[in-house]
Amino acid sequence: MNLMQLIINVIYAASIYAVVAYSYYFMYSARKFLNMSHAAIIALGAYLAFEIKKQLAWNIFIVIPFSVAITAIIAITVFLLIFKPLQKRKASSTKMLVASLGIYLVLQNLISLIWLDAPKSLCSWPVKRGHNILDVYITNEQILMIVVSIALLGVLLLFSKKTTIGKSIRAVASDSVLADVSGIDSYAVVLWAFAISSGLGGLAGILIAIDVDMTPTMGMNAFMMGVVTVIIGGVNSILGIALAALLLAITQHFGAWFIGSQWQDAIAFVILVLFLLFKPEGFFGKKVKSATV
Amino acid sequence: MLKVNELHTGYGKKPVLFGPSLEISKGKIVAIIGPNGAGKSTILKAICGLIPVWDGKITFEDSCINDSTPAKNVKRGITFCPQGNRVFDELSVNENLQIGGIYLKKKELAGRIDDVLQLFPMLKDRLKQNAGTLSGGEQQMLALGRALIPRPKLLLLDEPSLGLSPNLISTAFERIQQVNRERGTAILIVEQKVRKVLKICHKVYGIKLGKVVFDGQPEQIRHDERLRQIFL
Repeated sequence: MNLMQLIINVIYAASIYAVVAYSYYFMYSARKFLNMSHAAIIALGAYLAFEIKKQLAWNIFIVIPFSVAITAIIAITVFLLIFKPLQKRKASSTKMLVASLGIYLVLQNLISLIWLDAPKSLCSWPVKRGHNILDVYITNEQILMIVVSIALLGVLLLFSKKTTIGKSIRAVASDSVLADVSGIDSYAVVLWAFAISSGLGGLAGILIAIDVDMTPTMGMNAFMMGVVTVIIGGVNSILGIALAALLLAITQHFGAWFIGSQWQDAIAFVILVLFLLFKPEGFFGKKVKSATV
Repeated sequence: MLKVNELHTGYGKKPVLFGPSLEISKGKIVAIIGPNGAGKSTILKAICGLIPVWDGKITFEDSCINDSTPAKNVKRGITFCPQGNRVFDELSVNENLQIGGIYLKKKELAGRIDDVLQLFPMLKDRLKQNAGTLSGGEQQMLALGRALIPRPKLLLLDEPSLGLSPNLISTAFERIQQVNRERGTAILIVEQKVRKVLKICHKVYGIKLGKVVFDGQPEQIRHDERLRQIFL
């Protein structure tokens, strides 16, 4: 494999990590707990797109927004039915995590029941060989993922800096008590953050499924890499996430080049441990202060 | 303006306040003093809606606000500066001020921010800077500025001197007095710096173990034996 091909592969992998990580970033900012159910939401987005495409035979670019919206609506329903009552009872982050794991298992098994476990493809068009540019191969699906991830970086940066909801989410992430007493309805903000995150999660699932096949458990691997990316990026920074995705992809791919691709996931978790040990605040995050109420 | 009548509340199941009553009239500065753990901050949190009222009654401009949320209270005209001049560290100074009036229309908000910047001109040069990088004195100004954006009728301040160096503490108290004088904002202030706060307030309440043990004019209280005893 030549170096240029490796670089393209790195950019593609970084794009996947970044899109999944952006999707997780908003909900984690607003309500700090490891929401495992997001892994099922990623898969759900892909399967909903598969079903809509199969039933209505729409163009994939019309299928995507519909599936994203339905995914967000389902995720919000789950939030209102399970996370909201827990939040009202002031459940700890650990209890929320356990609940989210339960939701993940239920959703993932529902996906298995409805669509069965055999791999499915969103790609109804014939598989073509990628474009050959200067001896480097890249497929349309990979180009789509890279373009979406770069566009999302710009859109999300603008969203969080310029819109009221974006600023409110950042304020709640920075200090939720201060946000409350500043007149922000933090409950509504958390709801918005979950809707945005879930929609983006669905989008990430669809983009992954366009390139590779989908299975009911596909969301978990993507989710774990997304979480690693968010932690390395610093939990409060979209730009940090983009950088972390790139760092993760570079070390994984160059590492795999030298020691073998079976070590790719291990490399990612070694980087995570190194960051947790030596730079726990991530690239652009701040050291976490305990807030008093 | 604000009446707190036999307030009972606490955290979880642990009671902290055992029926203190207090009152603040329009345009006045009222101080709550007392030792650590007396429940001073808890009173402010209950008034602004951060913690539920178990028993008793809080009325603001003749309406009961026992069940009101912090967001509703901001719109009513009650704003709160939590302990230690907290600001949104990762947000710029300008964004911090914008958050103070997040429910306002763009034009109105811009006007309010200009207003606050006239009061604290030092913040003008720092608008794009992250609030977390400001000095202690500047953060105090910003925390106060953010709470003033909604043009509150009542401002609740929880230990504004906490974490400030001695010379900055005097400036902070001057600033608070300036807000009260120039804007007519009533201020309910919780403080440990008793001598300093007695100089600027119109009335003082002494709290110990969740109960009011004395109240009166600062001149009367300054030499009162009860003031010394409350800290023993």
